[in-house]
Amino acid sequence: MKVQKKAAINLFYIPAIVLFLVFVIYPFLHGIRISFTNWNGYSQTMKFVGIDNYVRLFQDANVRTALVNTLVYGIASTIIQNVLGLAYALFLNTKFKGRSIVRTVIYMPVMIAPLIMGYIMYFLFQYDGGALNDIIMLLGHEPVDLLANSSAAIAIIVMVNSLQFVGVSMVIYLAGLQNVPNMYYEAAMLDGASSWQRFKHITFPLLMPAISSSTILNLIGGLKLFDLVMALTSGGPGFTTHSLSTLVTNQYFSAQSAGYASAIGIFAFLLIMVVSNVVMKFFDKREVDV
Amino acid sequence: MQNKKKSNLWKYCLAIFIVFIHIIPIYMVIGLAFKSPYDHSSRWVLPGYFYLKNIYTALNKSGMLLALKNTILITGLSIILIVVIGAMAAYPISRNKSKLNKWIKGFIMGVMMIPPLSILVPLYSFMADVGGINTYWGIIVALVTFQLPTSIFLYANFISTIPVALEEAAAIDGCGPIQTFFRIIMPQLKPVTASVIIITGVFCWNNYQFALYLLQSPKVKTVTLAIAGFFSADAANMNGAAAAAFIGILPVIVLFLFLQKYFIQGMVDSAVK
Amino acid sequence: MKKLVVTMLIATMAIASAGCSKAPEEPKTETTETTAKKEKQETDVTLEFLYNLNGEAISNEVQAVCEQFTEETGIGVEAIMPGSNFSDIMKTRMASNQLPDVWTTHGWAVARYAEYLEPLNDFGFADHISSSIEEQITDKDGNLYTLPIDMDLTGIIYNVNVLEEAGVNVDDLKTWDDFNEACKKVKSIGKTPIQMGGKDSYTFGNLMDFIAPTFITNEDEANQEALLDGSFDWSKWNVVVDQVASWNAEGYFNKDAVTADFMTGVKALAAEEAAFMFHSASGISEIYVQNPDTEMGFMPLPAREDGLKTSLMTGEHFAIGMSKTTEHPEEAKKFMEFMAREDICAKLATKCGMPSGLDNVESDTGRLEPFYEKYTNNAEILNIPYFDRKYLPSGMWNDLCVTGGTILSGQDNATEEAVTQMKNSYEEKKAQE
Repeated sequence: MKVQKKAAINLFYIPAIVLFLVFVIYPFLHGIRISFTNWNGYSQTMKFVGIDNYVRLFQDANVRTALVNTLVYGIASTIIQNVLGLAYALFLNTKFKGRSIVRTVIYMPVMIAPLIMGYIMYFLFQYDGGALNDIIMLLGHEPVDLLANSSAAIAIIVMVNSLQFVGVSMVIYLAGLQNVPNMYYEAAMLDGASSWQRFKHITFPLLMPAISSSTILNLIGGLKLFDLVMALTSGGPGFTTHSLSTLVTNQYFSAQSAGYASAIGIFAFLLIMVVSNVVMKFFDKREVDV
Repeated sequence: MQNKKKSNLWKYCLAIFIVFIHIIPIYMVIGLAFKSPYDHSSRWVLPGYFYLKNIYTALNKSGMLLALKNTILITGLSIILIVVIGAMAAYPISRNKSKLNKWIKGFIMGVMMIPPLSILVPLYSFMADVGGINTYWGIIVALVTFQLPTSIFLYANFISTIPVALEEAAAIDGCGPIQTFFRIIMPQLKPVTASVIIITGVFCWNNYQFALYLLQSPKVKTVTLAIAGFFSADAANMNGAAAAAFIGILPVIVLFLFLQKYFIQGMVDSAVK
Repeated sequence: MKKLVVTMLIATMAIASAGCSKAPEEPKTETTETTAKKEKQETDVTLEFLYNLNGEAISNEVQAVCEQFTEETGIGVEAIMPGSNFSDIMKTRMASNQLPDVWTTHGWAVARYAEYLEPLNDFGFADHISSSIEEQITDKDGNLYTLPIDMDLTGIIYNVNVLEEAGVNVDDLKTWDDFNEACKKVKSIGKTPIQMGGKDSYTFGNLMDFIAPTFITNEDEANQEALLDGSFDWSKWNVVVDQVASWNAEGYFNKDAVTADFMTGVKALAAEEAAFMFHSASGISEIYVQNPDTEMGFMPLPAREDGLKTSLMTGEHFAIGMSKTTEHPEEAKKFMEFMAREDICAKLATKCGMPSGLDNVESDTGRLEPFYEKYTNNAEILNIPYFDRKYLPSGMWNDLCVTGGTILSGQDNATEEAVTQMKNSYEEKKAQE
């Protein structure tokens, strides 16, 4: 009887599974098929070329650049968002007037579409009339064209992405901190533990589930980064700031190599899957039960 | 006493600094939105006059009002579906920890990792075949499908923390699984639902890529499309664009302020347990 | 740490206390507000018309003309301008075979869209296609694919006042050496010789696309054939790349050439801070919007050496094609005939400020009139097609855009990399044909 009931509630995920199969898996399989062709993205004809696109992918210096950038965007953003998010959460967990305003302001940028955020940030970093250069010139220095330098542009993209979404990590950590029972601290205080010791031995281990959620969500988001890059640099100068996602669009539409672009897309998917699975495994081993 | 005040001063300085950093984007938008296009003063400087022409332009010329209406409709319906279908799917996954369900959970996480771009053109072709282009249901289905994994992820974590006792009691009283779900489980999901609404709602509201391709007719244009249209290649009117961005951001911020009380609580229960 | 915070605070205050800006005087421009007329749609048919003309004035005119069509015929038209993603959207729609009833073909009527376009040879306007554009919109079998409302005549646009101040006479700029000399003069008066907007990567595409024919294909049939049959020796491309690299080394580009956008360039020319821009004449109308008091002009592209002719490029600008598979062929035909009608076509071409592509239509090109008069049908000037549309396989426009940025990005081996990328992409696309 019980087994039957349990099996019956499995029916509840059928609507979701149907949606996935029809609107994600079916197009995705179609995309895999395209990745074995030389399709230009609009013609009614295409030719199967076997694994040519995948061979080319491993020889293409632009793909290598985009791969490295994607990892930088994903991993650096994740680190910054977590460290800063945790710092904000610890700070806002102390008592002072107006902290809810600070919390709201930190979360507010999350509400802005990344594409629009990119355009807004362009107003800040632009050479000609950019807000940052106004300050630099006020201090008596020559204006700088930061986005023209690919390393600086990559750093800016990471920074903007991190600061925009640090609110998500902060909220997760704030939630995590509310879950740490106060008596642990009280006991530690009695034992004369310093604040660093308390953080290291109580807060940090108990925050593991929060760290895990925050890391996974940020990592997947960072590895899929697209709109922000398009709005700030469009992947330029040259191919130097492309992520795999933006390179897919560039190759699909502008370069008219849809087959090759699909191969890059599949590669990006595999990369995201491998990286996030490694990270998930890492956390599975370390999570402490409260 | 003296010492305590001092430490609080330090906190306020830091708080002001943090607020300053994070308010920059919105500050820029507001500054530009209410400034004349011929005002070439620094972007740090707010206009010293009252100027509404950009807002007027954004509302009238780019069809922002229609876009707002469309986006509210699309986001609203999407959220309802994301909440209902997501909660339903999460229920068996967190209650029946069978091998099949573990696999299903992995599959759903996998969907989250597919870059939307790699399926965009096949998805468009499919939508075109079934008549979903330029329709509300077409974009809603796409948005719902791509936000479901996040919703399921949050709900599944939350449901795991609800004691099974109530359901068992309901089963003894003769409730079927459907009744149990809607009468017993759904009412308990309030806090996490606030998180789901904020996180997925913001995505739906801001979505650009799906809308760009699936909604080409101006009649079904969304807010982000309208704003991006302002910013696109040859558009000279940066102030109008900022005004449009301002109008587009306002509703989500209001929604957030309204829901934030529940939001944090929902995160406590879903993301960290 | 505390000091840092305090300094930051003071800095913030300082910026904030710099005060608020004063209301600027706005130039009084007559805004033609298109009042939304009630559509008198009598039939159920609504045609879908996708177009990609930027600029508010032109867009408003297109909408007004479509409304007039509805009033006269009772057929509805939904005119859609998808913005900078126009060609991506068109590709998606071609892929799914879901084309609009009519759309603008922006230079690709033959090379990209022919598969989906209805030949227009039976229309009345087919006999009136201007001879300088006919070849480019007709395929090998003589099928005409698009209705050229107007046509581009493109060279280098310049600010007359800046060149005057620098002591440059454009009529003397016959070769690139002359042009370089002019750049030097412009730089010496502290202004930007060549304005680029690399964030909008098509401005780099323009740059490469405009100078390439002067170095490679003009009056050189061997190279023309080699490019078309796939045997082109890409080491010859070094000349093109080196020219750009040398302008960069001399500091002739604006400092933010890689990251500025097109509008920054428009503003720089409007403010008389920059001299030249590689852009079609349509850019001039944008500049006049910013500053109606400045004086703009356009000039032919200089030649690689003495004795060769300077050149101007002609191509489609606002041209309309009709879907082969439209569900409303009769209505679409009526729409095409309407757009080709003398009064309508003249109105649209005039708004674009370009000569009409139909020889029976008079377009008022306004302040650019003297330039069109001077350069149209001038035996001294070569009339050439756009380089990429004619000589490169479809899809290589992207490579022109990207390699332009690569050369200016300052990375090692940038020039070699630019040449290699062009070569690889060309070979791969040729192999696909």
